[in-house]
Amino acid sequence: MSRLALEGVRKRFGDTTALDGVDLEARDGELLVVVGPSGCGKSTLLRCIAGLEAVDEGAIRIGEREVTRMKPAARNVSMVFQSYALFPHLTVRDNIAFGLVVREEPKRVVAERVAEAAKLVGAEGFLQRRPYELSGGERQRVALARALVRRPDAFLLDEPLSNLDAGTRVQMRTELRRLHREVGSTMVHVTHDQVEALTLGDRIAVLDAGRVRQVGTPDEVYSRPDDLFVGRFLGTPAMNVLTPQAARPFVAIPEQTVLGIRPEDVRLTADGVPARVDLVEVAGSDAYVFLDRDLVARVPAAGRPAEGAEVRVGFDRGAAHLFDEASGRRVEW
Amino acid sequence: MTERRQVALMLAPYLFGLFALVGLPAVVTFGLAFTEYDLLRAPSFNGLDNFRELADDDIFATALKNSLVFALIAVPLRLAGALGLALLLHRRFTGVGAYRSSTVLPTVIPDVAYGLVWLWLFNPLYGPINLLLRWHGDSPTTTAWGVQPPQWLTHPNDARAAIILMSLFTIGEGFVILLVTRQGLPSELYDLAALEDATAWGIFRRITLPLMAPILLLLLARDTIFSLQWTFVPALVVTDGGPPPYATTYVPLFVYRNAFEYLRYGYAASATLVMFALTALIVWLQWRIVRRWRKGFAV
Repeated sequence: MSRLALEGVRKRFGDTTALDGVDLEARDGELLVVVGPSGCGKSTLLRCIAGLEAVDEGAIRIGEREVTRMKPAARNVSMVFQSYALFPHLTVRDNIAFGLVVREEPKRVVAERVAEAAKLVGAEGFLQRRPYELSGGERQRVALARALVRRPDAFLLDEPLSNLDAGTRVQMRTELRRLHREVGSTMVHVTHDQVEALTLGDRIAVLDAGRVRQVGTPDEVYSRPDDLFVGRFLGTPAMNVLTPQAARPFVAIPEQTVLGIRPEDVRLTADGVPARVDLVEVAGSDAYVFLDRDLVARVPAAGRPAEGAEVRVGFDRGAAHLFDEASGRRVEW
Repeated sequence: MTERRQVALMLAPYLFGLFALVGLPAVVTFGLAFTEYDLLRAPSFNGLDNFRELADDDIFATALKNSLVFALIAVPLRLAGALGLALLLHRRFTGVGAYRSSTVLPTVIPDVAYGLVWLWLFNPLYGPINLLLRWHGDSPTTTAWGVQPPQWLTHPNDARAAIILMSLFTIGEGFVILLVTRQGLPSELYDLAALEDATAWGIFRRITLPLMAPILLLLLARDTIFSLQWTFVPALVVTDGGPPPYATTYVPLFVYRNAFEYLRYGYAASATLVMFALTALIVWLQWRIVRRWRKGFAV
């Protein structure tokens, strides 16, 4: 097990800055999820940790070692790729064994470790098959087993669930969580899926435009966002943002600030502010009610108003977040 | 006009060309192989006489041997050259475009012009190849290591080597196909190999070669067919089928001479059929061997 740390890491591709002074730590045995929109630098971050991209500035440490200039193999990390990166010409057994065979481990050790890793991910049943004979979930298990087999200091997972269908993704998410608990290794998991991040991570790091916006437990990041980007990025539908003028019927806020309120905190209540329902979207047990006051409310589908209905809405001041309009940073109030 | 009719119309010129220039001559060749035909008189059916004569024809045996030896040496060398260059030049670096273009260039030069260039290059007295070999030689006729430079146009084995050497520079098509194939291989597999500390040789043996095998098989078959035919122009223009006795007479040149110089069209057609059957057999064998090789892939 190893702590993994990035200190002031910068990476540029020509004129584009992919990582802009990233300071981040995955604690020993922690599952850290790095989440952010497409193109925010998540995969570059992972590739820099793995040594597949050289950093321009900063340092990377794995355990007690500084690995910034080390070649990938010397860093002793395993990576699971979004595309699984399975060798199509090899059987599942040979795919899992690849790293050990390349490192010329004795055959007995290879056989034992492959069996152990396959058992851990539930891949024992298809060791003789080739990747094209497997489902997406099975391929993912093989990729995980291949990462596990070498017993690395840290695991790097690059959107490993994003190619799976919704049902398999939920199942694999649980499996991944169980696997992390059993293996106990440091894992850095990159995803653009906020639900995956919130459900999977011991802690979450929100990345935007190559910068870490906030690091914390899923609870902390969701319920107390450090800035407007984090607040709006996490949660479905996105956090409502009201200008001082739009917020005035509900609560007075200072000029040069904006108010953020999560849709589930907006209540349809008899003593609220009058509003008209523009649109209602039903999403299973919940309904998203789009109101004419730049507000979306998330209410139980069973109690949803009709489109065009006149309703009254309100929210608790304590549930609202205040952000500086210019910087987007959280303002205490 | 329906889409089906549009497609049929667009395909028509190609299909007509295929029928008129390939299909029909192939059928005629097949028929002529069982006849005696000299262009002056009507073809007369002679059964298997042409094939019996071929079996006893020493020149045909020499031509067949020359063709097979040429293919046996040239095809692996050409494939290895195309693969090696594709692997060297698949990455982007300054000047890579020029290197790629210069690899393809010899392939697009007309065969006869290409042959004439080599006729100059192989000239034993003032050709640049032998001038280079004689550079720093002890005497004007020996190389630096004290032996005579190759007599490209007058010594049988040197002449055969000359034709093989010529063929090694017309690998542009194979190079382009292998270049694109290599560029299409998933980069994650190579990232993974880097993380696992695989050596360059290990990466080539365990990843690149197996993943490129289907295209290499295709090129192997294609190059075998190509090599058995390609010798015609160099043998005609550069070595004229010699030096004696028939050192660079390959089957295409044998067919050409019998048909257009000796007016023995039936006999030439039968030699063509033998060559066709032999080519098909070689390609089938290659396919079987490579298929077995691919089935046995292991890490």
